[in-house]
Amino acid sequence: MSDVLKGNFKPRDAVDVEQKSLDLNAQFEREALKRLGGSIAFVSKKKFLYGLEHNDEPTSS
Amino acid sequence: MKDMKTVAGELGLKIATDLGEITLEKVTQVGFANAQANAALIAKGKSIAALQKTELMEGEDALVIAAGPSVHRQDSAKLIKESGFKGVIVASESAMSWCLREGIVPHLVVTLDPHATRLVRWFGDPDLTEEALAKDDYFARQDLDPLFRERQLSFNKEMIGLVNKYGPQMRIAVASSASQAVVRRVLEAGMDAYWWNPMYDDYELEHGLTRRIHRLNGLPCINAGGNVGSACWVLCHAVLSKKRIGLVGMDFGYYADTPYSRTQYYKEILALVGPERLDEVFVRIANPHVKQEFYTDPAYLWYRNGFLEMAQQADCETYNCTGGGILFGPSIRWLSLSGFFELSRAQSRIP
Repeated sequence: MSDVLKGNFKPRDAVDVEQKSLDLNAQFEREALKRLGGSIAFVSKKKFLYGLEHNDEPTSS
Repeated sequence: MKDMKTVAGELGLKIATDLGEITLEKVTQVGFANAQANAALIAKGKSIAALQKTELMEGEDALVIAAGPSVHRQDSAKLIKESGFKGVIVASESAMSWCLREGIVPHLVVTLDPHATRLVRWFGDPDLTEEALAKDDYFARQDLDPLFRERQLSFNKEMIGLVNKYGPQMRIAVASSASQAVVRRVLEAGMDAYWWNPMYDDYELEHGLTRRIHRLNGLPCINAGGNVGSACWVLCHAVLSKKRIGLVGMDFGYYADTPYSRTQYYKEILALVGPERLDEVFVRIANPHVKQEFYTDPAYLWYRNGFLEMAQQADCETYNCTGGGILFGPSIRWLSLSGFFELSRAQSRIP
């Protein structure tokens, strides 16, 4: 394939092929990790309720 | 990840610290899509705020029943039934079947997980087929309720009948993130639905996800702590204003004799790290109250850490009557279930 697809120009920026492969691995790993995630979000260090009275201001916990 | 070497449990600890962000990525799109799909029903339904005008507000005590494996190893049902407990009983949807089979009808059931097909099984799935079972063996492996592992199709039919029978007697707090299949079953079974939004991010961010979902349907947003058991507890104190809350089946872990293959995320963990490295993902924790070792996975560990953080903020006393598992620490009082009922009786005698 590399005999057919030859570039006839010099790219302006260097192409880091290895980095791209690492990114793909990280993306794959991220997708796999998502499957270990919880049922729903948890918001740390915040009150328990927002908008219980249908107000725009957070209600107190 | 497969090239990284860590000691027992260390990788699980590392994953658990990232699960807040990872879970948000996992649930946001589907949670919002389900909220959009549920919008018409929500618009003509009741908000969770309406629970504050019901008799569930009476009294200061509540018992949360979650679906941890301890409920099947202890005599909790007998104790609950014989206790004469006057407080409110709030159950996760995953514990509802066990409750009903044991003759306990929860005052309030809670559901939130947006998964398209799994959650409806706890209500009895009218669309369940052999083909569907072949595609997803979650219920054949899970440790939450052993009966859901066996003769799945016929048991599912029994569940449909059981939930239809008791549905009209139960209220349910349905998150806007719940799947169409769950919502359909809730309505079919005649359960009295009260809607709410799970909190997705900091509500102080004007253009954040929580503000967006609130603008979409006007429902109150509740910090659910990552899972339905924690959400039950939050509802008890933050919405129903309970001052003493007992927890049953809130294990957030597995008994040491449970094979890894029976754990919630076994297949996903296996796919991530391979069979040689499972010990690095599962974290072992000794429970000093029962002098027993349990183990847990990253998601349950994240739930536990979140719960411990929330318990320190909460305006209530939390009594863990699970009798096992890994939920212990500051602001969690360890107590037997009979001890909690005695405490509740004693408090109610105080004028």
